[in-house]
Amino acid sequence: MAALKDVSFSVPERHIFGIIGPNGAGKSTLFGVISGAIRASQGRVRFRGSDVTRLRSDALVHFGIARTHHIVRPFRAMTVLENVLVAVHYGRQSAKADAKAQAISALERVQLAPKARMLASALSLGEQKRLEVARALATNPDLLLLDEVCGGLSGAETRAMLDLFQQIRASGTTILYVEHDMKAVMSVCDRIAVLDFGRKLAEGTPAEIQNDPAVIDAYLGSGMLGTNSIA
Amino acid sequence: MKRLIASFQPLFAAGILLVVLLLPILGLTPNVIRILFITFVWITASLAWNLLGGVAGQVSFGFAVFYGLGAYAAALMINAGVNPALSFVGSAAVAALASFLIGIPTFRLRGPYFAIATIGVSEAVRVVMNNISAVGGAGGLRVTERGIFHQTEHYYSGLAIAVLAVCVSLLIERSKFGLALRAIRQDEDAAADIGINPFRCKLWIHAIAAALTGVAGGVFADYAAYIHPQGVFAFSTSVTILLMPVIGGIGTIWGAVLGAAVVTIVEEQLVAVFPQVHLLLYGLLLMLIVLLEPDGLVGLLRRMLRRMHVDPSSRGPDEALWGRGRLEGREL
Repeated sequence: MAALKDVSFSVPERHIFGIIGPNGAGKSTLFGVISGAIRASQGRVRFRGSDVTRLRSDALVHFGIARTHHIVRPFRAMTVLENVLVAVHYGRQSAKADAKAQAISALERVQLAPKARMLASALSLGEQKRLEVARALATNPDLLLLDEVCGGLSGAETRAMLDLFQQIRASGTTILYVEHDMKAVMSVCDRIAVLDFGRKLAEGTPAEIQNDPAVIDAYLGSGMLGTNSIA
Repeated sequence: MKRLIASFQPLFAAGILLVVLLLPILGLTPNVIRILFITFVWITASLAWNLLGGVAGQVSFGFAVFYGLGAYAAALMINAGVNPALSFVGSAAVAALASFLIGIPTFRLRGPYFAIATIGVSEAVRVVMNNISAVGGAGGLRVTERGIFHQTEHYYSGLAIAVLAVCVSLLIERSKFGLALRAIRQDEDAAADIGINPFRCKLWIHAIAAALTGVAGGVFADYAAYIHPQGVFAFSTSVTILLMPVIGGIGTIWGAVLGAAVVTIVEEQLVAVFPQVHLLLYGLLLMLIVLLEPDGLVGLLRRMLRRMHVDPSSRGPDEALWGRGRLEGREL
């Protein structure tokens, strides 16, 4: 059985590209294939002209591709700073020399710098999700793969997270964003691909997706988008 | 207060070092010197195991392989006329080489599966060594004696390798490599997701740990003058090496040192006082420690200090992980 079939799309540089789909659509499998966690039996993942299909996740990091996890996986017995520092040390080399300064600047980007000396296990879920993003950012990626980072966050936390995505994109990093939360995806993405039963159903701008009859029929249903564009 | 204690720690270590340096001059009995020598050898092996098991979280039941190979390598080289100090370097090299041969297949396994594989490898090596007649087979190997036996020379060799092991452990603990190993212990996949190659890191720390254990075996062989597979390659050797850091406080340098000292002294005393039931008492003691104080003796000391309001925040990040009830399946 194939979890994914004939799914093909390309992510333009400096875009926030969203992938949505109902449970079991294959979002997580697709994410795993791109991030090196799952071996694809067929197909290719290309990054800047290079074939990265068979690379393990640590090699991908050195190619400039970093990921976060759907369920947060901080190093709980390390401080917040150490979590990010180890990512600076082992991630892709950046021009800046001082590792600690880089780690602190990654924490500042997610507003966790004041908690740098706390143990990661002492953070709230929202903070741990931000730490997850900071740790991925600290590897100095060109492409950031985000797996449902807004799940379980409050409204205010989600808005702050989406603002952060805009800032990350503005700094030159491309984002591939897999998400269940429809409103979040619609509000922040430049382009969206919709998956259903392992196939790509549609791809386009948020407005195009919202008005795509196939998407509405197969998956979204009327009113699900939370906008007025669908009666 | 915490900083005060932290600044006393090197002073404390220097004080202990000074005392053990001067001990032989005080005219101790040969038996006490012997027990101290064995303590140093075990401290070295205990710290080595702690690097792989405590810091990187890879629990191995196969350290007798490195101890035994180190012992045999040193014995053969000394018998061939090599300077003992140089032959200990040879022990380290042989053990490190073996660690790669063992690590490359076994580190593809995780957690308990890795642990079980190391038992298999260890037993296989013991059986093979039992049957290589060129190195004495099950009958063992005699180490040629070089002139008069000076016990204090061995004492200082033992002390030197124990100090070496402490220094290596401190260096690794404070390095970015050490940080990567701690990350691997906590979540190997998440470590890979930030660019760490867990397989390569595990191979390297395995090699460093094996080299130190090999040196310990070599120094022991030089002292004992006779080694045999049922001794140095025994499963109980692996278990002893593993238990010392567990008893003392897994993941901590001073825990590994303290555990080795306590295990050696308690074992020696139990054998002397209760020759019939010493293993029973030893097992009982072990169960008590593991059940009542999972952080080991260092954890116990820390708690006592806290109770005296001396050091309320001394609980380091690593203790929080290994501590009571927090040992999550993934980490082991």
